[in-house]
Amino acid sequence: MRPTFLPSLIVLAALLLCGCDAPVDHYPPNELYSLVVSTREMVSTQVAADDTTAVVEAWFGTPVQPRWPADQMSGSAAKALVRLDNLERAAGRVYADQDDLHFGLYNEHCVTCHGVSGGGNGPASLLQNPYPRDFRAGVFKWKSTARNARPTRDDLIKILQHGAAGSAMPTFRLIPEQDLEALVDYVIFLSVRGQFERELISGAVQELEYDEARPSDGLSLMSIVGGDEESEALSFARETLDRITDGWARADDAVIQVPPETVADAASIQRGREWFHSPKALCSGCHGQDGDHPLALQTNYDDWTTEFTSRIGITPSDREAVRPFRSAGALRPRIIVPRKLSDGVFRGGDDPQTVYRRLVTGIDGTPMPAVNVSDQPSATGLTSDQIWDIVHYVRSLGESE
Amino acid sequence: MAEPNLSEQQTSDAPDDSLHDSQPSVAVDPRSKLLHRLAVLSVCLVWPLIWVGGLVTTYDAGMAVPDWPGTYGYNLLLYPISTWLSGPFDLFIEHGHRLLGAVVGLLAIVMVIAAFRREDRRWVIGLTVTILLAVISQGVLGGVRVLLGDRTFAMIHGCFGPVVFSLCCVAAVVTSRSWWDRRHLPSAVPSQKPIGMSLLAFATVPTLLSYTQLVLGAQLRHVQPLTTPGTFTLIVAIHIVTAFGLWLLTPILFLLVRRCGDLTLSRPAGWLIWFVGAQILLGTGTWIVNYGWPGILEFLPFGEGYLVRSKGFIDSIIVTAHVAVGSLILATSVVIGVQVLRQRFLHQRSLAVLV
Ligand code: HEC
Ligand code: HEC
Repeated sequence: MRPTFLPSLIVLAALLLCGCDAPVDHYPPNELYSLVVSTREMVSTQVAADDTTAVVEAWFGTPVQPRWPADQMSGSAAKALVRLDNLERAAGRVYADQDDLHFGLYNEHCVTCHGVSGGGNGPASLLQNPYPRDFRAGVFKWKSTARNARPTRDDLIKILQHGAAGSAMPTFRLIPEQDLEALVDYVIFLSVRGQFERELISGAVQELEYDEARPSDGLSLMSIVGGDEESEALSFARETLDRITDGWARADDAVIQVPPETVADAASIQRGREWFHSPKALCSGCHGQDGDHPLALQTNYDDWTTEFTSRIGITPSDREAVRPFRSAGALRPRIIVPRKLSDGVFRGGDDPQTVYRRLVTGIDGTPMPAVNVSDQPSATGLTSDQIWDIVHYVRSLGESE
Repeated sequence: MAEPNLSEQQTSDAPDDSLHDSQPSVAVDPRSKLLHRLAVLSVCLVWPLIWVGGLVTTYDAGMAVPDWPGTYGYNLLLYPISTWLSGPFDLFIEHGHRLLGAVVGLLAIVMVIAAFRREDRRWVIGLTVTILLAVISQGVLGGVRVLLGDRTFAMIHGCFGPVVFSLCCVAAVVTSRSWWDRRHLPSAVPSQKPIGMSLLAFATVPTLLSYTQLVLGAQLRHVQPLTTPGTFTLIVAIHIVTAFGLWLLTPILFLLVRRCGDLTLSRPAGWLIWFVGAQILLGTGTWIVNYGWPGILEFLPFGEGYLVRSKGFIDSIIVTAHVAVGSLILATSVVIGVQVLRQRFLHQRSLAVLV
C-alpha cells in the first residue's frame, strides 16, 4: 500500500486540522450577547452567562435531545407552539429510514449557514451577503406581522418554500411538506431558546443582582437547576419564558390587515412614482432615483450588527474595537445596501398584499422604515390608496426591465 | 506515486528487454490484452462509481440504508430489484452505489487472477493486488461510514475513491499498447529531449496539488457544524488560490513534456489544461448552487436575484460533476507523472545501451 501513503498522510493531517466528527453535545452559548451586556452594563457577565447556560440546557435540552419546556409555561397556546417529535426529527444525527423519512433535518439542510444554535454564524456564513439569520434575537424580516412582532408559522413555511432570492437562503420547495413543518418547529424552538438565553443573561445582571459573584440563594439561577420551586429566580425565568412564547403564540393576531387593492393602472403607477420620490415617503432617499441607484450609507448596518456596535458606542468600521466581539462569535460588520428595486427582486415575496405589508411595516431588523399611514390625506402621512399607488409603482419597476 | 515500482521495473524488465531489442521485428506481443481490457473496464466502471458516490453525498443519501454489508437485512446482491427501482431516490442511488461497488470488487479480483496468469512484470501484478486491496478498503470505509453514521468516514471514503480511480488508470496505461510500443523504438529515444530530475519533480506537482484540492474540497463538502466561519473561509481561499495555481502550471507542464516529442505524454498534459479550466467553472457553479451568487461576480448581468434551490437536480449534477472531474484531474496528473517517469527511465537506458 506504499502508493497511498502520501494521500493518507494528507487526509490524516486534514483530520487533525478539523477535528473529528464528534456529535455536537451542547448548544454553543451566546457569548456575543454576554459580551454586549457586559460592555453595556459595565459589569462582568461571566457567572451570569455560565448559570444561564445551565438553566437553558435544563429547560431546552441539547442538539442531540432537544426539550420543549411546556412544564414551565402557563399558556396553553404557548405549550402547543411546537411538537416535541418534530424537534427530535429536526435535531440530531442525519439519517433516513426505509420510508425515506429523513432525520436530523436541521443538520442536513441548515446548519452550515445558520449554525448549531441558530446564531446565523455557521461555517459558511462569513462569505454570504446578507449573513444568514440569527434566530436568537427573534427578529425576522420576511413576515406578514406588525413591526417587532414575531412571524407566523405560515410566514416561516413561506420563506422555506420560496427562499430569499438574491441571498444565500435556498428554496426548500423540493423537501416534503412535513419536513418543512418539523424545520419550522425547530426554527421557532431555536428562536424561543435564543431569546430566553439573551433575556436571562441581561435579566441576571439587571434583576437578579449577578456580578462577579453569584447572588444569594433565591436569586441565583442555579436554584432553578437545583429544583427550588420557590425561588425568585425561577419566577423570573418563568415570566420571561411566558412573555417570549406569548409573542409567538399571538403572532397570528399581529398580521397586518391589507385594505382592498385599488386599480393598478398607468395613472396609479404614475401617482406612485410621485409618492415614491416625495418627502412623505422618502423612498428615493435610500433607493435612489426611480429605485435604480441605492445609496450605500456608511452608517447603515442591520440591527444584528448595531446591537454589538453603534448601540453600545462602538464604531462598526473600527476593526480594533470590534475585534473582541468578533472573537465572541460576531461576523464582520457589513453595510446594508437598500434594494435596487429596478431589478424586480423581492425577497419577502412579490404579490401585491405582501409588498403592501412591507411598506406599512418597513423591514424588521433593517433601516428600512415603515411609512406613516393616515386615514385622510395629510402633510406627513400617506393614505392606504396612496400606498397602493407606491406598491403598483414599485412592482412596475422590475417589469419594465 | 509509482516511484517504488521503478526499481522493480528495472530489475524485471532488463533481461527480457535485451531479448526483444535484438529481435524487434518478431511480431510477438508480450503484453496481456486481457489484462489491459479489464483495466480499461475498471476505469470505465470506477468513474461512474465516483459519480454515483458523489450523488449519494449531494443528496445526503449516505444513510438511506442504515445497515451494511446487507441492505435492510437482505444480502447486498439479493435485495429485491423491484423494491430498489421503485423505492425512494435516496435508496435507489445508495443501493446502486453499493451494487456498482460490488461489481468493481469482483472485477478487481478477476484482474488479479488475469495478472498472475498472463502478466510477466512483477510490479504490474503488484499493482493489481494493490488495486484489489484498495477497492476492499474503500468498501469497508464506506461500510464503516454507514454503520457509525460518521461524516468523518464519509470524508475519508470520499478522498480515497479518487486514489482507487487513479490506480485503475495507471493499470490501464501500463498495460496499453503505447506503453509497449515506446520501448520498441529505441532509435527514436536519443533524439528526444532528455527528461531531467527537475521535469520529473515538476511532473509530480499536479498530482500533489490536485490531491490537496480533493482533500480541501472534501473539507468544505463535509464541513462540521462547529467549524468556525474563519476556518471555512480560509479553506475556501486556499482552495481557490490552489486551483488557479494548478491551472497556471498545466500549460507549462504541457510545453515541457511536448518537447519530449511523445504524443502519449503531451496529449494527457493537454487535456489537463482543459480539465482544470472546466473544473474551475464547475467549482464556481458549485459555489453558486450552494451559497448563491457571490459578490465578486456581481458585474455579470444575470446573477441578480439568483435563488438557491436545495436538492435541485441540475444543481446536484453540477456539484457531483465537480467531484468527479476532480478525480479525473488527479488520475490524469498521476498518469502524466507515471509516463514521465517511464520516459526518463527509457531514455537513460537507451543512453546506457549506446555507451
Ligand atoms: C446557504 C445558506 C443557507 C442555508 C443552507 C439556509 N439558510 Fe436560511 N437564511 C440564509 C440567509 C443568507 C438568510 C438571510 C436572508 C435575508 O436576510 O434576506 C436566511 C434567512 C432565513 C430565515 C429568516 C427569514 C426572515 O424572515 O428573516 C429563516 C427562518 C431561515 N433562513 C431558515 C432556514 C432553515 C430552516 C434552513 C434549513 C432548512 C435554512 N434557513 C437554510 C442562508 C441559508
Ligand atoms: C432608510 C433607508 C430606506 C428607506 C427610506 C426605504 N427603504 Fe426600502 N429598503 C431599504 C433596505 C436597507 C432594504 C433591504 C433590506 C434587506 O434586504 O435586508 C430595502 C428593501 C426594500 C424592498 C425589497 C423588499 C423585498 O421583499 O425584498 C422594497 C420593495 C423597498 N425597500 C421599498 C421601499 C419603498 C417603497 C420605500 C418608501 C416607502 C422604501 N423602501 C424606503 C432601505 C430603505
